[in-house]
Amino acid sequence: MKAIFDVGKDDVLIKLYGELDEYGASKIKDDVDKCIARHPARAYIFDLENVQFVDSTGLGFLLGRYKKIRQNHAELLVSHVCPQVDKVFKAAGVYTFVPKINL
Amino acid sequence: MKDIFELTINADGKNEAFARATVAAFSLALSPTLEEIGDLKTATSEAVTNAVVHAYGENGGKIKITGEADTSDNSITVTVQDFGCGIEDLKSALEPFYTTKPDEERSGMGFTIIDTFSDEMSVESTVNVGTTVRFKKVFKNAES
Repeated sequence: MKAIFDVGKDDVLIKLYGELDEYGASKIKDDVDKCIARHPARAYIFDLENVQFVDSTGLGFLLGRYKKIRQNHAELLVSHVCPQVDKVFKAAGVYTFVPKINL
Repeated sequence: MKDIFELTINADGKNEAFARATVAAFSLALSPTLEEIGDLKTATSEAVTNAVVHAYGENGGKIKITGEADTSDNSITVTVQDFGCGIEDLKSALEPFYTTKPDEERSGMGFTIIDTFSDEMSVESTVNVGTTVRFKKVFKNAES
């Protein structure tokens, strides 16, 4: 799993690649947190176009980043959600606090 | 005769992708839809994650995964067994958002997701003996 950061003026696009499970989340967590700490922004967008799988560990990862980002009074958004990921997000009610947008 | 498989892996997060891909591959004979394969992989991942995260301490241990395909109702039953610490409070563990490791950013949604994404789920656990999670997925949309 890897994360690529596209830092804009107001927002940061974080493109994730791989499967967001126990192993995948542990691989990218530090990089993502460093990016959030270094680059204050209005919004952070997780682009999940290249994420074909997420489980509850991935949800925990997302929730953890959401808390950090909200502490900085910024927004967290997701885009390009595949059907498996969409189903897990819906089951856990993710979209009530992390909106899905079309990039 | 029902088709079966047995797989033993080390309780390590990096083996989860292999475990769920194996279960998905095993299910292909029953012609599941993409969505049903996704459900099966998700449920498997949750059960294996539980064993990886909670069952063993630093020294690790083994996880045994078995699958059984039943052509009479076009279903697959997956069993994920560990030989670790067991669950002290199973009733709470089955509640959504309950986690014993909130400091690790755990969502507490593992069992809820297995239950949602499968047709039947059961959990047996004995402290210091281990935990067995069993779930059944019926492929309703399969073209047979």
